[in-house]
Amino acid sequence: MPDPRKVLVIDDEVHIRRVIEVILKKRGYEVITAKNGEEGLEAIRSLQPDAVISDIRMPKLDGEALCKMVNPLKEFRSFLTVIMTARISPDEQKWIDGMKDTIFMEKPFSPLRLADCIDRYFEDKLMNT
Amino acid sequence: MRLKQVSVAFAVLFLLCMALLLYFLVRSEERNRIKEVEDRGTYLVSLVSLYSIDDFKADNRHFLLKSIAEYTANTGLIYLYVHDSGGKQIMSLDSTNISESIPPEIQTRSLASQGFVRQSFRPGGSGETAHEFAKPVLEKGSRTGTVRIGLRPLPVQLFSLERVSFLSMIAFFIFAALVLFYYGVIAALKPLKDVHSSLKNAVESGAFPADAPKGGQFLPVVEELKKSLTQVKSKLGSIGEENISLASRLGVIQFEKKLQSKILDAIGQGIIVTDLQGHIHLINDSMLKLLGRKSEEVLDSPVEKVLDRDDIRPLFTEDSGRVRDSIEVTFPDASPGEVFQASSSDLLDGDRTVIARLFMIKNITSRKKSEEVQHDFIAHVAHELRTPLTNIKSYGEMLMIGEITDEEMRKEFYNTINEETNRLTGMIQNILNISKIEMGSLTPNKGLVHTDWFVDGCLTSIDAAARDKQIAIERKLPDVFPSLIADKELLKAAIINILGNAIKYTPEKGRITFSIGEVNGYVNFEVTDTGHGISPEDLPHIFEKFYRSGQNSIKEQVGSGLGLAITSEIVRLHGGEIEVHSEPGAGSQFIIRIPKEDYFIARS
Repeated sequence: MPDPRKVLVIDDEVHIRRVIEVILKKRGYEVITAKNGEEGLEAIRSLQPDAVISDIRMPKLDGEALCKMVNPLKEFRSFLTVIMTARISPDEQKWIDGMKDTIFMEKPFSPLRLADCIDRYFEDKLMNT
Repeated sequence: MRLKQVSVAFAVLFLLCMALLLYFLVRSEERNRIKEVEDRGTYLVSLVSLYSIDDFKADNRHFLLKSIAEYTANTGLIYLYVHDSGGKQIMSLDSTNISESIPPEIQTRSLASQGFVRQSFRPGGSGETAHEFAKPVLEKGSRTGTVRIGLRPLPVQLFSLERVSFLSMIAFFIFAALVLFYYGVIAALKPLKDVHSSLKNAVESGAFPADAPKGGQFLPVVEELKKSLTQVKSKLGSIGEENISLASRLGVIQFEKKLQSKILDAIGQGIIVTDLQGHIHLINDSMLKLLGRKSEEVLDSPVEKVLDRDDIRPLFTEDSGRVRDSIEVTFPDASPGEVFQASSSDLLDGDRTVIARLFMIKNITSRKKSEEVQHDFIAHVAHELRTPLTNIKSYGEMLMIGEITDEEMRKEFYNTINEETNRLTGMIQNILNISKIEMGSLTPNKGLVHTDWFVDGCLTSIDAAARDKQIAIERKLPDVFPSLIADKELLKAAIINILGNAIKYTPEKGRITFSIGEVNGYVNFEVTDTGHGISPEDLPHIFEKFYRSGQNSIKEQVGSGLGLAITSEIVRLHGGEIEVHSEPGAGSQFIIRIPKEDYFIARS
């Protein structure tokens, strides 16, 4: 049994972190949580997660800035980023499209679909290698 | 009739003048004759006295007499006497034998005189005056005799040829002058006559009798003139009245014009009205202020020169179009950040022809700002509402698909759904409250509130958020909870807003103290935190709607800028007050004081 995949959940809303944590743990992932962009950035750098689920509107460092900061890291070690937010504008879609391995999921979201999405990403990755 | 009298009087006057003239002419002629007599007498006596006395002796005098006769012809000579030194008359030329009528004292005086003497007398008491000239005859220094000559002025002919011709010439001139004067007057009256006829046409009242009275041409003209003048006078009177009414109408129009320009000035928009050629006809104060120009500088100048800007030019260069597109512009003279909307339109007459062009500049800064605020508010509200909705949906789904098998966890999930539903309800309540505050229709539905349950409800709603940030909530509650009359839901919303802010702006692992107590008939709710605190610049504004601090520690938190505005309005509606103490970096303290009010009355 290999080491479980690490998924980082960044959201300022405790209940969202909790529900994602519950479902992903059930699917066998190791879940790390962060309350804001700053904490998330720190966790990405130190814990090297295999997938990141992030909100956009957050205190300290927002999701957009965080993604732009970690995007260059994907050159060396690819990981999935799922942007989850309550609203999206064409401008936001544009910058999301510019990121590597980044998908967008609108809130309110389905935890089941999110978990399936992450499962599929890792399955595809496994098949490609 | 009158003209006849005038002519007769004039003729009499004319004759009188002529007679007077004749009289003066004769008098002047007589005076000339006397002068002439004097000159001639002096000359003759001097001439005759040059002869030697012997020449007058009877045997020698024929030659002398001949020359004297030549000299004295037609001179009015009456007599010539020559006396010797003894006084004896030695020669006498006296055709009329006048010597008798010469007064003796004349002769005496002439003979006694040593030099030339001239005397006048009336011979024999007749009307004529005679003049005697006497001079001694001097020979070798001694007087040898005396010459006496008597002269009479030649009679003046009343109607001499020259005088008659002179008089007739004068009469002719007077006649000619009269004729000329008459035709001159006629010619002078001609324009008056014309004036009269045109006046008659203008006045158009009381036509003149066609048969003007005969007897001269002046009288009808004068009569008509008089009539016309009367009509002119009455017309002038009515014109004067019209003038007064016109002046008052002009006053009203001027007042209206002033009023309109004042109204234009009072309008907050910049306004320019141009004629069809694009020259500024009217400009109001707002526009002048915006352009930094003076009215007299820009009036009548082409609008594209006054507003010489590439972005505005299309508005007044386009030819057609009743209401043209508006353009957002800024002005260097306006305050920074001010945005204006420039637009132009044609001013149409009743028959839809263009009579002028209107060009307006409107300050839309506050509209833009309020639009922005509204947009932000809606975005914020949507986001806020989606958060509990997202939670409810995802937690519900987890329970539905049977992912949660653990009993404890299932309880936790149900609990979260419940909490989030309450949160959603509170948010919707807040939005409704704001809308009611906006409309001025927020009225508290007061009832008895037992604060023990009430406080529990308030604190529960922030529990999850506090736990998440590991903020300790200290409750300082009394043994006996006070009760008060209030709108429970509104008051709860007010207190949750304060508590929510405390959680939001207190860093992790901070502390919030909540206490309740009764002081002097007021129930005090106190919330103290160890948060960022409020800067002195922000403090006066925190209860203003949509006010958001510029500080980074506050800005990074999402918020609508409405929470404290709602809270203060609710407190105000309860007759209470909010006290705020804050030290930046150390924390804040909010005290809400609500009067217990008619609690006792309500209970009885």
